[in-house]
Amino acid sequence: MSEIFSDILRTNSRNRACLAAALFFCALTIIVQGCVKSGSGEKCLNCHSRIEHSSKSHSGCVSCHGGNAESSDKAAAHAGMRGKGNPSAPSGWENSCGSCHRYQLERVKSNIMQTNAGMIRNIRLTWEGGEAGDYAASGQKTFKPDGTNLKYQPVAELDNLSGELYRKFCSRCHIGTENSDSWSATHASGCAACHYPWNDDATYSGSDKAIRGKAGYSATHIMEPLPSTPVCSRCHNRSGRIGYSYQGLYDGNNALVPTAKGEPGPVMGSGARSLVHIQPDVHAAAGMECIDCHTSRDVMGDGYSYRNMFLQTEIACEDCHGSGDRLPQYREVSRENDDALRESRRYQRPVTFGMKMIQTSKGRSYSNVYVDGSSIRLQGKRSGRIHTVKVITGSPAHTIAGHGRLECYACHSRTVVQCYGCHTAYDRGVPGRDFIKGVDTPGAFSETEDYRMLYPFPLALNQRGRISPVTPGCQTFVTVKESDGSISKDEYVAHFKGKQQLRFAPFYSHNTGTRAVGCRECHSNPAFLGFGQNIIEKNSIKGTLICEKSDKKPLDGYLTMENGRVRAFSAITRENSRPLSGSEIKRTLSVNLCLPCHEKGDDPIYQKRLNYRALDDKLHRNL
Amino acid sequence: MPLMTNFIVIFSLLLALAATSFAGESCTVCHVSVRLSGVHKGVPCLGCHISESATVANPGASAYGAIGCKACHKGHERIFDHAMAKRSGEKQFVSRSYAKVDAAFWEKNCTGCHLQSCTDCHGSGHNILKPLAVDCQRCHKGYFVGWDYAGRAPREDNNRYQRGAEIEGERFLKMLPDVHFSKGMECSACHSMQSLASGEKSSQKCRGCHKPDLKIVEHGIKAHMERLECYACHAAWGAQEYGTFYLRFRDGASKEDFDLKGEKNGEYLRSAYLKSQDAPMLGLNSRGKVSPIRPMFIAYYTDILTAKSGGDENRLLGAEWRTYMPHTIQRGTIACEGCHDSPRRFLLEAESARIFLPKKDGMVLESFWQQQGQKVVNGSFMPLDRYRKMNERTMAKKRAETKKWQNLLKNVETSSKP
Repeated sequence: MSEIFSDILRTNSRNRACLAAALFFCALTIIVQGCVKSGSGEKCLNCHSRIEHSSKSHSGCVSCHGGNAESSDKAAAHAGMRGKGNPSAPSGWENSCGSCHRYQLERVKSNIMQTNAGMIRNIRLTWEGGEAGDYAASGQKTFKPDGTNLKYQPVAELDNLSGELYRKFCSRCHIGTENSDSWSATHASGCAACHYPWNDDATYSGSDKAIRGKAGYSATHIMEPLPSTPVCSRCHNRSGRIGYSYQGLYDGNNALVPTAKGEPGPVMGSGARSLVHIQPDVHAAAGMECIDCHTSRDVMGDGYSYRNMFLQTEIACEDCHGSGDRLPQYREVSRENDDALRESRRYQRPVTFGMKMIQTSKGRSYSNVYVDGSSIRLQGKRSGRIHTVKVITGSPAHTIAGHGRLECYACHSRTVVQCYGCHTAYDRGVPGRDFIKGVDTPGAFSETEDYRMLYPFPLALNQRGRISPVTPGCQTFVTVKESDGSISKDEYVAHFKGKQQLRFAPFYSHNTGTRAVGCRECHSNPAFLGFGQNIIEKNSIKGTLICEKSDKKPLDGYLTMENGRVRAFSAITRENSRPLSGSEIKRTLSVNLCLPCHEKGDDPIYQKRLNYRALDDKLHRNL
Repeated sequence: MPLMTNFIVIFSLLLALAATSFAGESCTVCHVSVRLSGVHKGVPCLGCHISESATVANPGASAYGAIGCKACHKGHERIFDHAMAKRSGEKQFVSRSYAKVDAAFWEKNCTGCHLQSCTDCHGSGHNILKPLAVDCQRCHKGYFVGWDYAGRAPREDNNRYQRGAEIEGERFLKMLPDVHFSKGMECSACHSMQSLASGEKSSQKCRGCHKPDLKIVEHGIKAHMERLECYACHAAWGAQEYGTFYLRFRDGASKEDFDLKGEKNGEYLRSAYLKSQDAPMLGLNSRGKVSPIRPMFIAYYTDILTAKSGGDENRLLGAEWRTYMPHTIQRGTIACEGCHDSPRRFLLEAESARIFLPKKDGMVLESFWQQQGQKVVNGSFMPLDRYRKMNERTMAKKRAETKKWQNLLKNVETSSKP
């Protein structure tokens, strides 16, 4: 076993290896026993004669759906079916998908898209939702990344405003809860959420006449082993809106124009939002889909339960493109149980022994990125297209002293979606749907907002101590109307890290460009440092878009500089994150003393820490 | 406004005869309740209403040539010959844009702000007052200059964005007010009655009060002083509207699909593809000086009924910009690089820097920040060669930039922590 899991053992604790071993045995046992194949003689097809075959390896009906294949009577045949039409829903997945794909199911059960532990934790932190206990979409026992036990309490029992917000708003994008009534944000629950894509209005449009036109079903009965970008985008289009930004869509000001055949347009998203086209991410433009970067462990989990999305994510730009001083790392496929071999079975060119697979930041193999001679290539998992990856290691523009602290996307984001001023009202006198409990309960949320921005975008320190774009996360102003009509909270700013303050969150917008933000542009515009749109007046920086609660603080920033004194008034969420300090601001702006002459990033003076005394030397004095 | 005028006419007819009577006047025999206040408190009824036999109901109405006012305020009635009453600029715009698709567009959408009487600005009939900024802002609001003076910018048209503080029923984004407003100056400080009556935009120019200090780095640059309007740099922000849409509805039902602010009964709804209020774009005004410019308007039109039956939609009727002076003046300015390194501000955006793709959404223009297909009606765009020239990296410029940053940086405290 230690040989099989040598790569995991190398980096992780014994407990971690034990869990992995247990999962492997489960999977092995089931594979040896074999799945019950019950294709022939089933009477299901008497009614569902033209239903699509799920996949080559998934024949038969009852092995997944349950029910009684011997009966021709509808009621008798359907008795005992798992779920209405979706056996992969959490209520039935143990005996449907889980009976063969135990390894995958156990991972998905502790995966952050299923637990929603990150979302719930962040809402609690920012909505004064208490600190005791860990909550997830449903109560369950799982394992922390260090291998110790973790018991989640069900969010249904989180009896405060933050629990209400999750259950009535955020839980729509939980793979354990189906969503059949939000245009284009529709998805099944369970495995089918990703592997049986729904169309925009959740209506089956395949060739089985018995179901055709009915709502609450996948678009067809064809399994999607490798989900496409639109599948991910059904959920990943709120908050950070990365699904939209990646594809080159922006739900901006929701202007509903230009119209599309006389209807609001040009493209409509969920929640009556209109989307306009912007430049897509360079990877999307090259034909890459979400799963071409994101590994199965990114999206389905690795068996451990993380408290935040960024801890579950194992990939980084540097994995493929290298960092300024470190080349991408690889490992040769040398064992028959290498994950890359299994995961690539459906690709046009499956991974073979001896291939040198590029490693994620957690030291695990990509199944589609490999070394080919002196190049790094990426295979589109769905398209089979081969992309050559540009490695930037050692290039002067990427070895600028001080820029080692920058995330790649601090410079290479074309845009960063920023929603300023999120005003959330909760009215206890109006009933609202609790999507976790499945019933209406007193209290409904509604939202208005102030302003949207794409560019420029502010930078601050993220949880890795790196300088990263940040976006409001969130600038929530809460109003609560009690059932007697009285207002108990009026545009209230919650306590965070010990004081009432708004918050920004480190963020990768997924709207990457090859062109970086220019040196002079970033260093000379204080908006990039967190001052908002601004003017400079002597040694003060004044915001021009002002928060309603103040006469001086910018709405679109978190810093002020008055008479040379830098002050931060909003927090950056996540541990170790913070706005830039006064000395960092000064250092960043000081580069402007050199940039008028040394304009280009690859100028040798930027390869070491700048010496501003040089401005007084003989050479510079004469200038 | 017509409604208001009617009201004033009727109200005046009833009350004019009842004002406080002076010797020889018998008005108050009937009009017992009229009380005068304001600057005309001591004026007899017929001082404004002319005579008992041929009484003028609304002495300030342009329809009567402001007959009751001009006897004393000689020449002020000429205000009705100029922009605020004639609105010829706006009318011409409509005639070359929306009137092509709807001959009655002006009557349907543009008659709200039309100066018809002295009392539109000067209080009410029996309480004549000097106008304050708030009186001017009753019309000079929204996207138009006036609101910005008090630190207000228009919000997006979708009802999701219609929140926050409002004035006279219109919501606004809170912005940094003009420094003159913050110091308590009213519009009339620069826009005297004489200037308005004579058709001048203002009675006061920046340099009438301010003598530029040439020791300031930017002021020390000759080209700046010769070629730039003061407010090319000192306007801190400007409301910008990219892609103004008028959507025409023939039935109320399809209107419900558009959750936009606006009247439920009107034939039109208005929306904008994008609004922003950062530093305004720059062009050349009729004096050949660098000046802020704004879209006015990049005008689109959709007749919903026609569009639904497969016809034309999102028709571009004009892509016009105007030079103007944002009333958002501050002592400070944006950084040098905000103009010199910013082709976008002159509508010379490189394709590689483009963010929005309006053409992909059927809006004809490749980009709003590209001059092609657009024009400045009262000036011109910055020619490319002139932009290149102003961006030449001369030694003088490098020195000035370095000096400017030194001035800021020498006073920044490094000890302050977030």
